Amino acid sequence: MKIQKKTTGAARPCALKIMGSILFSCSLLVFGQTAANATSVSGDSLTILRMRENTQNDFLLPIYEYLHLSVTDVGSQGTTSVEIGGWGRQDLADRSTDQHTEGDIQYGFLSYRANRNNLQLNAGRQFVIEGVATERVDGLYLRSDLAAGFTAAAYVGNPVVTEPNFDGGELIYGGRVAHTLPKYYSIGLSLLRNETDGEGLREEQGIDLWLHPMQQIDITGRSTYNSLSSGWMEHAYTASVTPMSTVNVSATFQQVNYEDYFYHVTTSALSLTNGILVPGEEMWNIGGSVGYTGVKNLAITGEYNHYEYEIAGSADYFGLLASYTTPTALTTGASFHRMDGSSGPLSYYQYRVWATQKFGAADVTLDFFDVDFDRGINGRENTYSLAAAAGYDFSQNLRVAADVDYLRSTDFDHELRGLIKVSYAFGFGKEGQ
Amino acid sequence: MKNTALIAFLGLMLSVLYACANTNSIARVHPEEVKGLPRCAECHTDQWTALNHQAQDFYLKHKFYAAQQRAACTTCHKESFCVECHAHKEEIKPNDKYKDRPELSLPHRGDYLSRHRVDGRINPVSCLKCHGRQNNERCKTCHR
Repeated sequence: MKIQKKTTGAARPCALKIMGSILFSCSLLVFGQTAANATSVSGDSLTILRMRENTQNDFLLPIYEYLHLSVTDVGSQGTTSVEIGGWGRQDLADRSTDQHTEGDIQYGFLSYRANRNNLQLNAGRQFVIEGVATERVDGLYLRSDLAAGFTAAAYVGNPVVTEPNFDGGELIYGGRVAHTLPKYYSIGLSLLRNETDGEGLREEQGIDLWLHPMQQIDITGRSTYNSLSSGWMEHAYTASVTPMSTVNVSATFQQVNYEDYFYHVTTSALSLTNGILVPGEEMWNIGGSVGYTGVKNLAITGEYNHYEYEIAGSADYFGLLASYTTPTALTTGASFHRMDGSSGPLSYYQYRVWATQKFGAADVTLDFFDVDFDRGINGRENTYSLAAAAGYDFSQNLRVAADVDYLRSTDFDHELRGLIKVSYAFGFGKEGQ
Repeated sequence: MKNTALIAFLGLMLSVLYACANTNSIARVHPEEVKGLPRCAECHTDQWTALNHQAQDFYLKHKFYAAQQRAACTTCHKESFCVECHAHKEEIKPNDKYKDRPELSLPHRGDYLSRHRVDGRINPVSCLKCHGRQNNERCKTCHR
């Protein structure tokens, strides 16, 4: 498939320049203190060469370089670090368009973590996860423990979003206040606001909890409210019970109001105005799973989910998974799932079998995935993929692997893809090793 | 004037609360080397026992743990670990990067282009976190 022209909300030259300057200055500071403090450098490089064809039968040969770098300086009061990660791509075969090169800064921030009070300050591009926020932000993040079991976190910056269809906004900020009794519970209140010129695009508040009244019981979840649409976006909770070390039972509950949940997205596919999603829809999802590890090397899981809708019909998704792992060489697994939607062609059977065998430093993998749709899509009821991969660990730090993937899908009669990757980890200093 | 006083008061209160906290930070690096998927209950007896990476529901629940106590995650995982899946602008699906690791719970195994037509209608909520505001350039190829 051809890659479409992209516009990225956060790729604002001034913001990137400021962030780059901050990181560069701070890097100098960190490097400058090497004599006085314990500075470590660690990183990893992943080079990937892909081979495939697009829908016009053009041969594509993109090569990617993913690079992650971490510089850490341990001081007497805390630790300062710089974390940078990104990728670049060039297509070696198709240079007919201006999109044969691409890249992204995935994250790049300066961080300080104090030895006391879990104080943390980050500046730069980062992934903020605090209550209702799961956001990539070019900005500042501050978090600390407070007195009497309270904690507080706050963030502000530019939202880092891709904007193929709608505007992602200029400013995002929010925070979370929580109270924790470490052995028993943590309960938090959080908020998020995303705006352009003072006009709110998103405004969410949430309450999250983590209860573990006893070692065998663990309850997590969150309720999120959209104050712009004045409705609950989502209630999502999971309870896990481990009656014995070999059995884990899990129950989930989720309720979503589409009108409030999909209130502002930048993707037309998930917009309430494109005709795919029905704005007034309400989804209830109740399910659970049981995991059993009582037989040596064997893990078995059964899972079931029931979906109920206000407007559409209902659906069930259930299945079984089993995996067998020997301590040294063989890992194999199989799964069966059934998606059973009551309306339209929303049903399929899904089968998967896979195995990985190690031979010293080498390993070989086979992965077969088959799907049978009850009603054909583009005239095809059966689709499958078969992947074969092989890898070799030249050392603890250097690995080379390659795979070939054959697909028969509802869109392609035969599709053959190849991939070669070289991963290398490196480091200097005490922690870098 | 009132706002300035309020901000100053809040700042003072937060400083006092911070000064009185007096807690030890979570270890920045896990003191023991952990290999493979850990069962935290093998060593821990407190709340960290819940972080059993081998439990079948850990993949489902890790978002809640991360949103509440991310510092616990970072004792073992660097930032680069999260962006393997939680990317901003990514062209290679996580499972395509790791065909040689079939045991990992990575989304979109197999021919997902066909299957997403069904999964996206049954539970579009699961699409939003990764594709609602990020990683959505490919969506535009068909969903204009």
